[in-house]
Amino acid sequence: MSTLLEVSGVSVSFDGFKAINNLSFAIGLPELRAVIGPNGAGKTTFMDIVTGKTRPDEGTVRWGEMGHSLLSMSEAQIAREGIGRKFQRPTVFEDQSVWDNLRVALSKPRGPFASMFDRVTPEDEARISAIAQEIGLSDHLRRKAGVLSHGQKQWLEIGMLLAQDPRLLLVDEPAAGMTTEERNHTADLLKRLALSHAVVVVEHDMEFVRRLDCRVTVLHEGSVLSEGSLEHVMADERVIEVYLGR
Amino acid sequence: MRDTIFTRNRSVPVFIAILTLLAIAVTILSEAYGTGALSVSFTKVLGMTLCLCLAALAMDLVWGYCGILSLGHFAFFGLGGYMIGMWLMTARTEVVIRANLASSPIPPTEAEISQATALQIFSVVGAEDWPWMWAVSDSLVLSLLLVVLVPGLLALVFGWLAFRSRVTGVYLSILTQAMTLALSLYLFQNDTGLRGNNGLSGLQNIPGAEGVGQDRISIWFFWASALALGLCYVGAAWLVSGKFGNIVRGIRDDELRVRFLGYPVEVYKLVVFTLTAMICGVAGALYYPQAGIINPDEIAPIASIYLAVWVAIGGRGRLYGAVIGAAVVSLLSTYFTGGRAPDLNLGFYRVEWIDWWPVLLGLGFVLVTLFAPKGLAGLVDYLVRKERT
Repeated sequence: MSTLLEVSGVSVSFDGFKAINNLSFAIGLPELRAVIGPNGAGKTTFMDIVTGKTRPDEGTVRWGEMGHSLLSMSEAQIAREGIGRKFQRPTVFEDQSVWDNLRVALSKPRGPFASMFDRVTPEDEARISAIAQEIGLSDHLRRKAGVLSHGQKQWLEIGMLLAQDPRLLLVDEPAAGMTTEERNHTADLLKRLALSHAVVVVEHDMEFVRRLDCRVTVLHEGSVLSEGSLEHVMADERVIEVYLGR
Repeated sequence: MRDTIFTRNRSVPVFIAILTLLAIAVTILSEAYGTGALSVSFTKVLGMTLCLCLAALAMDLVWGYCGILSLGHFAFFGLGGYMIGMWLMTARTEVVIRANLASSPIPPTEAEISQATALQIFSVVGAEDWPWMWAVSDSLVLSLLLVVLVPGLLALVFGWLAFRSRVTGVYLSILTQAMTLALSLYLFQNDTGLRGNNGLSGLQNIPGAEGVGQDRISIWFFWASALALGLCYVGAAWLVSGKFGNIVRGIRDDELRVRFLGYPVEVYKLVVFTLTAMICGVAGALYYPQAGIINPDEIAPIASIYLAVWVAIGGRGRLYGAVIGAAVVSLLSTYFTGGRAPDLNLGFYRVEWIDWWPVLLGLGFVLVTLFAPKGLAGLVDYLVRKERT
C-alpha cells in the first residue's frame, strides 16, 4: 500500500476562528478510512481543502506517487487528478434524468468542444447500466433526478462518483436519510470500492462506521484527536470526553 | 435508447415548419412578389422582429440554459450593426460620389474619391479623414468577418476577466450593464470615429443593388433573417441537446457539482458567452439594414434589459420560449408605440399608449413572473401535454 494523499501541518482560519489546526492525515491506496468527530470538528473543511475549495493558510497537501502539491490547482484540476467528492447534502442535477447525470459524470474528456461532439458509445452505455445496477437505479434511468427519494439521490451521487472513476473518494455522510437496508447496501458498496480505491467516509452514525469495519480518524477542533480501530478510538479517554461532553 | 436532436427537441421540426410557412405567407403577401397586402414598412418590421427573436434565442442560451443573466447582450447586437453599417455607408457614399464626380472635366483619382467619401461621411462630426476603425470598411468580406469577430472578441475579453474572478449572479449583471453603458457613452462622442450621436444612416440603401426597390430589398432581408433564425435555432437545439447542454444546465443549477466533476466551468461559460455574443452580432447586422439607421442610443442599458424581459415573458430554458417572447412583445411594442393603437378614452383621462406601453409591459412582466413563471412557453407545454393525455 502506497500513500496516495498526504496532508501535513495544515491550518486554516476563518475570521480568526481556527477551523483546521495543524492537521496531518494520510491515506493509502487502497484503503477505507472513516472520519468522525463532533459538529465543527473540521471534517467538511478538511474535504474543502483537499478538493481545492478552500486554500489553507499553511501546510502542504501532497498527492499521488510523485507527491504533487494540490494547493495550486483549481477544483476542476484536482477532480481531474482523480479525487471525487460526494457532498453532505446530495447534489445531483435535479432537472436532468438519472441517465444524463451519470453520463455527465463519466470519465471522458472534460473540454467544451469534446462535450459538444461527445457521442454515447456502447461502452458508455454499458458502463452507465452497470453503475445504475450497482446503485439500484436501473429502473429509474429516465426519471428526473429531482423526483428521486433522498436515499436514491445519495446513491445517484455515489454513482456519479463511480462514473468519474477517481482514485480517491471523499464521501460526506453517505448514509443520511437512508433506511437500514439501504445503509447496509451502501456500507457494502463502499467496502467493495475500497478494495481498489482510497475511500474517506465522513459519518456521524456510529452503527454505520462499525459496519465499515475500518481504521477511524477522530477529528476535534480542527486536528486529529485519535486514530486507530473503532474499538481503539472509542476506548480513548479524550474521545469519550469530547463525545460525552465535559 | 438513442437521443437525437429531434427526440430531445421536438420543437425543432415544428419551429422550422412554422418559420417556413411564415416566410411563404409573407412572400405571397409582399409587394414585390405577391399581392401587395403587406406594406414594405411592415415587411421590414417582420424581418426586424425575426432578428430580435434571434437575439432573444442567444439570450436564452446564455441566461435560460447557462444561468448567466447578462444585461449587456444588446451591445453585441449593436456592434454587429455598426460593423456592417460601416461597409454599407462607405460603399453607398462612394457610389454617390463617383456619380457626382463623373461629370467633372478631369477624371478624379481614387485618392480623391476616397477623400471626398470620407468628407461626405464625417463632415457631420467635423472630421474629414477616415478614422482607424474604418480601415476595412471598403471590404464586404472583412466587414462581415468583423460582424462576428468584434462582438466575439469583446465578449471573450470581458467574459474572461469576469468569469476568471468568479463574478456571478447580480454582480455579473451589473458589470454587463456597465459594459453596455460604457460602450454607448463611448460611441456618443463625436471623435470616436463612428459619427457620435448621428450614428450611421442610410443603411437601407444596399450598395450594388441601386436599381432594386425597397420592396424587393425588404423581402430579401426578411428571407435572410428567417434563414439566420432557422439555422441558429437548429444549431442551438443541437448544442443544448447533447452532453454540452447537460453540462451547461448543470452549471446553471449547481455550479459546484460541475466543478467537482472536473469540468472547467469558466471555460464553458466563456464559450457560451462568446458564442451568444457572436449570434447577437449577426442578428444586429441583419437588423440595422432594415431599420436604416443605428446610433448609440440603440445599445443603451435599457435595450439589454428589454432582451431579458422578452426571454422571461416567453419562457427561459426553452428555445421557442425566447422566440415567442421576443416576437409577441416586440410586435406589441411596435403596435402600441408606433401610433397605430387608438387612444383609450376613459372620459376623465385619455390613455395614450406611447406613454402607457411601458406600464403595460411592466405589468405583463409582473403578471408572468407571478402566475406563469415558465412564461408563455409554459402555456405551450401545458397545452401540448393536455393533448397527449
